[in-house]
Amino acid sequence: MQRLSDEQLLDEVIAGEMAALAILVERYQPVLTGYLDRLVGSDWALAQDLAQETFLRVLRQHATRGDRSFKSWLYTIATNLARDHFKSSATRLSTPLASEHEVWIRDEVPGPEEHVLRGEQRSALVDALNLLGMECRTTLWLRFYCDLSLQEIADTLGIPLGTVKWRLSTGLRRLRSLLASSVDTYC
Amino acid sequence: MNTNDRDDLREALRELDATPAEIAAWTPLVRRLAEWPEGHITQASQEYLLSVLEQAMPLHSAVRQAIREQKPRRVTALLATARTQVSLFGLGFWLVSALVTLIGAVVVVKYLFSDQALVLRISGPLLACLGTIVAFRGRGTRVLELELVCLPSPLQLAVARLVIVLGYDVGLGLALSLLLWAGGSGQVLTLTLSWLMPLFLVAGLALLLSLWLSMQVAASLAYGSWLAFLAISTVPPLQTLLLTPALLVLPGGIGLAGLSIALLRMHAGMHRLLPQS
Repeated sequence: MQRLSDEQLLDEVIAGEMAALAILVERYQPVLTGYLDRLVGSDWALAQDLAQETFLRVLRQHATRGDRSFKSWLYTIATNLARDHFKSSATRLSTPLASEHEVWIRDEVPGPEEHVLRGEQRSALVDALNLLGMECRTTLWLRFYCDLSLQEIADTLGIPLGTVKWRLSTGLRRLRSLLASSVDTYC
Repeated sequence: MNTNDRDDLREALRELDATPAEIAAWTPLVRRLAEWPEGHITQASQEYLLSVLEQAMPLHSAVRQAIREQKPRRVTALLATARTQVSLFGLGFWLVSALVTLIGAVVVVKYLFSDQALVLRISGPLLACLGTIVAFRGRGTRVLELELVCLPSPLQLAVARLVIVLGYDVGLGLALSLLLWAGGSGQVLTLTLSWLMPLFLVAGLALLLSLWLSMQVAASLAYGSWLAFLAISTVPPLQTLLLTPALLVLPGGIGLAGLSIALLRMHAGMHRLLPQS
């Protein structure tokens, strides 16, 4: 069953096959939660809740998928849930990195000075990402974290391919200029 | 994306029609995105998620469940399904079939024709022709979707209707055969085979042809072909060749094979009969 495509696994899930669901969860839970964590501004618990809700909607609304690929459809649900979260709670993404996440940073344990410097750099990155706006940020994460192709991003967000390219290049250009100015500030 | 893979990253940036200078400037930036602190999915959190999702899992559909439950008592379930289908046929079907049999009996008993077997060979398949037209008219009346969602599968419904049609026709035919046999009109087995085998043949052909043609056209064509065959076989040199006792069961065999193929094809291709969206 491991060799089945996402769409074939979903068919099995709809037919009541629990093992197929376990494989889909194994394939997508980590990256989906990571994606949502980035969208909601480093809130791992909230990201896990949203990932759970995403999978629940996959089960309840599978008839609405149509001809779309499972992957695009999954990220569409997740992105919409993140958007709804911001709309409902009027939350704005300005949260700096939560201290509890520091222990999960993949880098080797830095010394105190380096720790402060990296913390400042990360904070600058988060601030710069927040200034980009939801649409650009979502597109950047879908491409450079979830590894979706340009076409898959277009399908996920329901926008033309040209708009995907424009958002990515504009996002990177703005991000670079924002980070350059923040580096000047720190220096 | 594995941002450590420099080639993949450059390729991804090249897709954005970026200039070499932009690629050089953006590469470290995208690498910095990968520095985002991230939590881990633990085994426990995955198991918890699965336990939540398990409660929302779609069960086997009610239709499939019911069909599975029926499997151990297949014959009883088939008869029960057939009983519910009886109302589909209407009074006209029962009366016309009985009338055809009665006319056949009168013609044979009164010796209106010298060739008694020919009368049976004509009247027997006529019953099958009428029966299949009435029993499978549902396919043309847009009730297929309704049948697809009801408890018995479409195949079970088709078999149940065949049981009714053939059961009634065979019952009538057997009564006629016994009547003739009691009247001393010949051997009961030969008489029975002379109408039963063509009956199976026409029913099988009609159902098989209905996969491509409308039920009425298919049934008429099957019965017409049989009448044409009878007409040809009355020619003296062919009569001895085509209607020998040894070949008597051949039409029945062909008919039963046709019925089986039609039912299997009908089952496999049922979805194609649904209206296109």
